[in-house]
Amino acid sequence: MPAVATNPTLKGVHLTRTYGDGAKRRAALRDVSIDLFPGQLVLLMGPSGSGKSTLLAVMSGLLEPDSGQVLAEDGGDLRDVWTMTPKEREDFRLRTTGFIFQGYNLFPALTARQQLEIVLKWGGYAGGAEARRQADDMLEKLGLLPNRHKKPAHLSGGEKQRVAIGRALVKDPTFVFADEPTSALDWENGQRVMELLRDAAHDRGASILVVSHDHRLLPYVDVYYHLEDGHLEERPLIPAGH
Amino acid sequence: MSYALQTLLHERQRYASGVLAVTFSAVLIALQCGLLLGLFKITSIPIDQTEGRGNSADVWVGSTGVPSVDLGKPIPTSYLTRIAGRPGVGMPELYIANFGNFTKPAGGTELCFLLGTLLDPDSLGAADVLTPELRAALTEPFTIVVDESDVNRLRLDHPYGKPKINGKEVKLVGTVKGLRSLAAPWVFCSLHTARQLLGFLLPPDHVTYLIARCDSPARARAVAKELREQYPDDMTAYTAQEFSTESRVYWLLRTRAGIALGYAALLGLFVGAVITAQTMYSATVASAKEFAILLALGIPRWRIAVMVLTQSFWVGLIGIALAYPICLGLREAVRAKIDVDLRGEILAGTAGVAILMALMAGTWALRSVRRIEPMDLLR
Ligand SMILES: Nc1ncnc2c1ncn2[C@@H]1O[C@H](COP(=O)(O)OP(=O)(O)OP(=O)(O)O)[C@@H](O)[C@H]1O
Ligand SMILES: [Mg+2]
Repeated sequence: MPAVATNPTLKGVHLTRTYGDGAKRRAALRDVSIDLFPGQLVLLMGPSGSGKSTLLAVMSGLLEPDSGQVLAEDGGDLRDVWTMTPKEREDFRLRTTGFIFQGYNLFPALTARQQLEIVLKWGGYAGGAEARRQADDMLEKLGLLPNRHKKPAHLSGGEKQRVAIGRALVKDPTFVFADEPTSALDWENGQRVMELLRDAAHDRGASILVVSHDHRLLPYVDVYYHLEDGHLEERPLIPAGH
Repeated sequence: MSYALQTLLHERQRYASGVLAVTFSAVLIALQCGLLLGLFKITSIPIDQTEGRGNSADVWVGSTGVPSVDLGKPIPTSYLTRIAGRPGVGMPELYIANFGNFTKPAGGTELCFLLGTLLDPDSLGAADVLTPELRAALTEPFTIVVDESDVNRLRLDHPYGKPKINGKEVKLVGTVKGLRSLAAPWVFCSLHTARQLLGFLLPPDHVTYLIARCDSPARARAVAKELREQYPDDMTAYTAQEFSTESRVYWLLRTRAGIALGYAALLGLFVGAVITAQTMYSATVASAKEFAILLALGIPRWRIAVMVLTQSFWVGLIGIALAYPICLGLREAVRAKIDVDLRGEILAGTAGVAILMALMAGTWALRSVRRIEPMDLLR
């Protein structure tokens, strides 16, 4: 495990979130606090309906918590993501955050390379030849360079998920959030995805939060949280083979 | 190639209905306008089919406020002196144009329109299609020429009976091609014949129009303007072009065909717009997840809006590209019977309207873009 920086880059502090109201009121998060450090791959597990996706959405600036703070390191200061204006938050996500979801959600009409280029171009990161170079660099790291001209219909599930990972990583984000990134894949491809995410954390120093049901992912991660009924606890990692 | 166009081509089936809706609207609009224009062109045939096709260097003088070439009232021949002798203006020529009552050889009557002109080779008023032979034949009194499309209508193919105009017997000495008529068949004859046939309907020393050739179109415009200003009360002067347009517009408005066209075109446009909007909307909804990812990544929503509008633009453009050959094909198919005037203005205007329609449909579809939320990906 790499050396962990002492300061977290993203802190969830006393987060609560409920859905519905009246009799239908349901707490998805009850006073959850979590720290994400640079260079760490964090796994969040828990039963279905325990609030994992909710926590991921709150931490990533997509879903506003009822109370609590999400503090992000941004240019040296800690800023509360949920006191930013929507425009600032969008801009913050653009600069810092990558997402990977269970569905690959790739544009059917675009080639693997274009799926990455579109983020660089429309995100204002790079254009033209530079965007192409960066996209190809990323595809090469993911072992997808030979597939760069293929559209999603001609890629396997594992390849598609790797393209989606490339799309999340190509702008070199500080945070990456992945909700069930392996659950649509067979174990071999799932392992490959976890290796890539681990490398992204360890080599690029990104903070990566992975939500999953799958205990087989444990050997790949640095930290393991368990969420149940809206309560979060950190659990020790049992070394592989035990 | 833009991502928008690439998506459009990749998902052809999805966008096809939108493209075809644009094509449908465009064809409808272009053909309606072309048909109407072609139809009302007929009303100005006497002006357009003369030497040099409505020569823009001609000046036409008629009765006060005459709104259309078929509605001129008699004016004194002496007005010649008002026109002649101006610098850059040739010797004015007499022209008689009046409705007549045509009695078909087999019985029954029909309205016809007499066009009595000089017949020499450089006559300004004589229709171009009158060959020297026909002109020579027409010098004989009470001889006429009609368009071949009117022969049957006037029953001039009848072997026995005698055709008459205003009760006076006439003789058909030939036919011409391409001078179709709308309400009343054109009847071409000499000035003398026209005068004889009209009798007391045309007072002595009167004609319907005086035509003069000018040195240049600019001179013609200037002369027409001078004459209008100088004699506002008892005559009207136009350039041939002005009079031609005036005649068409008059009939267009008077028959309310313009309004009918407006409604039909609007309806076509509306149907096209609804289908296109629906296509764009469902296409956008179908891509909602991909767009949601981009929004989650912090890419501004306007980028997506621009993509949707670009797609709409292409839908419009491809729709138009398909519409043109269809329009031109249909025009050729009916050429023998009807003249569909698909002039540049109509084609360009149709393209403009169709693309505008597609863009408006795209704008409407943007409401689905506004509803896309990255949170939807986390269910
Ligand atoms: N938009 C919503 N409206 C109402 N209730 C919701 C909404 N989203 C989630 N919930 C509820 O909140 C609870 C937590 O949902 P969440 O999606 O965070 O669970 P999860 O741990 O990700 O589950 P899974 O493993 O099945 O994806 C669930 O009981 C869910 O039914
Ligand atoms: Mg979930």
